[in-house]
Amino acid sequence: MGPLAPHEKIFVDSDIVDDENHGEIACHECHGGNPDDPNWKTAHKGVVKDPTYPDATTACGDCHDEINENYQKSLHVSLRPYKLIIDERASSNTVIRNKLGCAMNTHCSGCHSSCGQCHISRPNSVEGGFLDGHLFQKKPPMQEVCTACHGSRIQKEYLGEHEGLLPSIHMKKYMKCDKCHTGEEMHGNGKDYAHRYDVENGPKCVDCHKEIYKREAKNVITHRIHKGKASCHVCHSQPYNNCSTCHVGKDKQGLAFFKTKSSWFDFKIGLNPLKSEKRPEKFVTLRHIPVDKRTFDFYVKDALSNFDTLPTWKLATPHNIRLKTTQNASCNACHGNESLFLLEKDVEDNEKGANKNVIVPANLIPRKQKWQPK
Amino acid sequence: MKYFRVIGLAVAFCLAIFLSNTFICQAYEDTQCFQCHTSAKKLIEATREIAKTRPDLKSAETEGEG
Repeated sequence: MGPLAPHEKIFVDSDIVDDENHGEIACHECHGGNPDDPNWKTAHKGVVKDPTYPDATTACGDCHDEINENYQKSLHVSLRPYKLIIDERASSNTVIRNKLGCAMNTHCSGCHSSCGQCHISRPNSVEGGFLDGHLFQKKPPMQEVCTACHGSRIQKEYLGEHEGLLPSIHMKKYMKCDKCHTGEEMHGNGKDYAHRYDVENGPKCVDCHKEIYKREAKNVITHRIHKGKASCHVCHSQPYNNCSTCHVGKDKQGLAFFKTKSSWFDFKIGLNPLKSEKRPEKFVTLRHIPVDKRTFDFYVKDALSNFDTLPTWKLATPHNIRLKTTQNASCNACHGNESLFLLEKDVEDNEKGANKNVIVPANLIPRKQKWQPK
Repeated sequence: MKYFRVIGLAVAFCLAIFLSNTFICQAYEDTQCFQCHTSAKKLIEATREIAKTRPDLKSAETEGEG
């Protein structure tokens, strides 16, 4: 995704008047300002850049009322899981929590989307700019919208931009994000989900791969044996990016910054921290996330005093799926192969407590197999 | 006679719809917003002027992957 020149970001395609649905809505009806003032400086007084955030009711919601009904609960708007997770790790001290809230407002709350920031412009968090001269895009373009935010992990994994790693087989089949992540999932269904993996209409591999457990299916034995024991990613993901220790603060000019210590490629199978009816598997792929006990130290010390309540190796669904991988080359490529599993020795001492429920004890590593399915 | 009256009414109705749309579009296109935001030249001038007065809002201290 190339950068846009400042004027390109706000250039409106005159074809917008031919849009049968939106062409008759005058600019000021959504954005405000004074459409009759010839001086652009005074004409922009009161202009709202994104009239769809935080409330889309008077802009898109006027016609798209069904979508707007659930808008506030869409995870792309509410960011509820972020807030809940930080909340769970946070100290119970009210003064500390208030300072933490200020820090989160500065560093976390800007990372949201809106109707406009998917269907009209690039998201604000990547400096915005119209997608196509303010022409409304029914399906948001993948690289300018989805992977503009979900870039360093999802985009690079999916497109195979990491050296030595192949793109996802789904990318090779020319599938865009919306093939699996539908509009209904993005818009929300009115439920206040605590985690993105709880979303009911989120993607499931078996939505498309319906046949894998059928008698006549290829590899049916392998799929049936592992059903409910290992997630699809355990067998079909390639190594993926992991990050550590993000610290946030403000520089001498008062501008917000973040620093992550390191990132590395790894593939780790661990115990499922989010076991549910939807995700019953015992083994899942885990990714180290960039959080640290001292992430918010610039603002307030000991903000995350309950750090150990959640793992730093988190359930992951890497987007670099392949039919054949190193670990599924044979049974014993995985069984008995300690290096694939998250063991106690792989976890830093100060994070052992947080990860105690996802570390695989030696006795749970599947034993080497003598028998191999044909 | 009745037949001509119906046709006349239909033609008048279509004309009314067409003209009202044309006027709406014209009114829309005549606004200052539309005039300026569809002109690359005007936008380049305006954004250059803005750039002179607005400092960089990104911290140089950001490091690592987001």
